[in-house]
Amino acid sequence: MSPFEYLRIALEALASNKIRSFLTMLGVIIGVASVIMLVSIGEGAKTYIRTELMGIGSNLLIITPGKTETSGMGHPPSGGVHKLTIEDLQALEKRAPALAGLTPMVVAGAPVKYGNHSRDVLVIGTDEKFEDIRNLHVEIGSFLGKGDIEAHRKVAVIGRTVKKELFREASPLGRTVKIGETTFRIIGIMERKGTTLGIDIDDLVFIPVDTAQDIFDQDGLTQILAQVVNENAIERAKDQIRQVLVRRHAGEEDFTMITQQAMLSTAQSILSTFTYVLGGIASISLLVGGIGIMNIMLVSVRERTREIGLRKAIGAAQRDILIQFVIEAITLSMIGGIVGILLGAGIAYGAKAAFPVVPVDITGWSIATAFTFAVLVGVFFGIYPATKAARLNPIDALRYE
Amino acid sequence: MAATPLIQLQDVTKVYVTGQIRYEVLKQISIEIESAEYVAISGASGSGKSTLLHIIGCLDTPTSGSYRLKGEEVSRKGDVELARIRNQTFGFVFQSFNLLGRYTITDNVALPMVYRGIARRARTEKAKTLLTRVGLSGFFGHRPSELSGGMQQRVAIARALANDPTVLFADEPTGNLDTKTGLDIIRLFGELNAEGTTVMVVSHDLRVAQHAGRVITLEDGRIIDDRRHAAAEPAETRTP
Ligand SMILES: Nc1ncnc2c1ncn2[C@@H]1O[C@H](COP(=O)(O)OP(=O)(O)OP(=O)(O)O)[C@@H](O)[C@H]1O
Ligand SMILES: [Mg+2]
Repeated sequence: MSPFEYLRIALEALASNKIRSFLTMLGVIIGVASVIMLVSIGEGAKTYIRTELMGIGSNLLIITPGKTETSGMGHPPSGGVHKLTIEDLQALEKRAPALAGLTPMVVAGAPVKYGNHSRDVLVIGTDEKFEDIRNLHVEIGSFLGKGDIEAHRKVAVIGRTVKKELFREASPLGRTVKIGETTFRIIGIMERKGTTLGIDIDDLVFIPVDTAQDIFDQDGLTQILAQVVNENAIERAKDQIRQVLVRRHAGEEDFTMITQQAMLSTAQSILSTFTYVLGGIASISLLVGGIGIMNIMLVSVRERTREIGLRKAIGAAQRDILIQFVIEAITLSMIGGIVGILLGAGIAYGAKAAFPVVPVDITGWSIATAFTFAVLVGVFFGIYPATKAARLNPIDALRYE
Repeated sequence: MAATPLIQLQDVTKVYVTGQIRYEVLKQISIEIESAEYVAISGASGSGKSTLLHIIGCLDTPTSGSYRLKGEEVSRKGDVELARIRNQTFGFVFQSFNLLGRYTITDNVALPMVYRGIARRARTEKAKTLLTRVGLSGFFGHRPSELSGGMQQRVAIARALANDPTVLFADEPTGNLDTKTGLDIIRLFGELNAEGTTVMVVSHDLRVAQHAGRVITLEDGRIIDDRRHAAAEPAETRTP
């Protein structure tokens, strides 16, 4: 018998009970579609985080005061944590050649006032290198200049949202605002950037670092942002920073270095787990779909016991019956799989089109896995009832009521 | 010593065990059937006629005893070989016709040819020829449920003939037919037998018994009579 004949017999059998065939496939369709949908969302989130993290600049290293990572043995609690200072930064500039640039950051929340408009914003005290290291650029006017820092000028660069809230359509360049009680002159407006990693970049105000220390009454830095010369130098850079700062901090390693790569891999591994969990949950529905196929195949074998008996009586071997039922099961799961893929991908693309913020990333591997799984489920759950059917003695099968 | 008989049963028994009750349907049956014989099996209801026919037709297995087909022990044959025998050597007409409701009668008749590996066009053509031979030329596209019992019986006969079997088995083939159609079927069997087909028919119909060259009578699972009569001339079966 040619494979085509087997296929024809199986398709005829499926077509003779269309509603039942469809309901069986529905289980697989929903299973495959949900695997693809959920995995797409997980993968989309991964891509989203990667783009966001890469967008903040490249080969960044953040130094914060205090030790948050605990090494295996644990550090004995030490007397006091040294603050990170401008002097630390200057020492690093001199003695850490693996760093291409360093910029200080003093971060504090404060109200910004212009006339009778006021807005609470995040104020960042930094220097002229921030613009390049952090990959945030001014659009109108200029960013904080070296001269502004050295001369302790009270100048500010504002984000788009701050500009809109305080000045509406008017041009803010050259005008003065009050940050807390101090008056600043606006010298630039940042380009629109939106929200990155939960912070609204357009709602920030930048002022010279020492001015920030003055008005917020801080002598330390919130963090130092360093750019490593290239990605292969990251470990070297960390060693150099450790050497320089430990010496300056009386032998204590009382600071923490976070690399962009570390943030990325942490985020990625969390999201991978998330993707697998989602995929796993969806696989359960696929498995339930498979059990549905087995159930239908068992019922179908029962219902068609007389037919099986007859086929055997007129010359079908066990093999022929087995192949017929396995093909029926595979056909059900394969059609279910294909429709499920189309449905899952369709919903994922639909979601992307309707809500561009929803990160969706349809991957080939999720489609391949879901489809393979669906077909395997069909074979696996088709073989048991098919074997049962094929083993029947023709006359016992024919007598079956 | 004659050549090996086509069918040779030696002390064949069939026992059904239901719970504590052991029911012996066939008791020590020994018969030999030669090629091209026309055998009628008669006996009261429940005497084991169908069971015997099923065992000879390789649809059922004996509990004990030996069954040789063309000299070869059937119990030693594997599934594929038995399937081929049922497909190509034997043709079986069941007491209840066992047609597939979702197929047309043409496809029903063609079904044994599917398992023989004959191409679709050729088997449809053959099926139509056979249906014409049993007088159903106008019904090729009909489904079994659209036909009368007698017509379905004839479809079942056409199906049994699909692969030109060496042996044709029929279990009460005229039981559902009127006198006239029954006679047509009996004639058809006579023709087939004349062409060399071995025919084994279970029947209460006296006309069949008269037609057959040999009548085996069963009672309570035993052969109580086995008589041959030299080519019974079918004078009586001629329609007036
Ligand atoms: N699967 C079975 N289990 C138990 N008993 C069975 C089974 N099949 C048949 N029998 C019994 O075997 C006996 C013979 O059955 P069989 O069908 O061979 O009779 P028969 O001579 O063909 O009768 P009829 O003329 O009514 O068709 C019956 O008494 C029946 O009850
Ligand atoms: Mg019977």
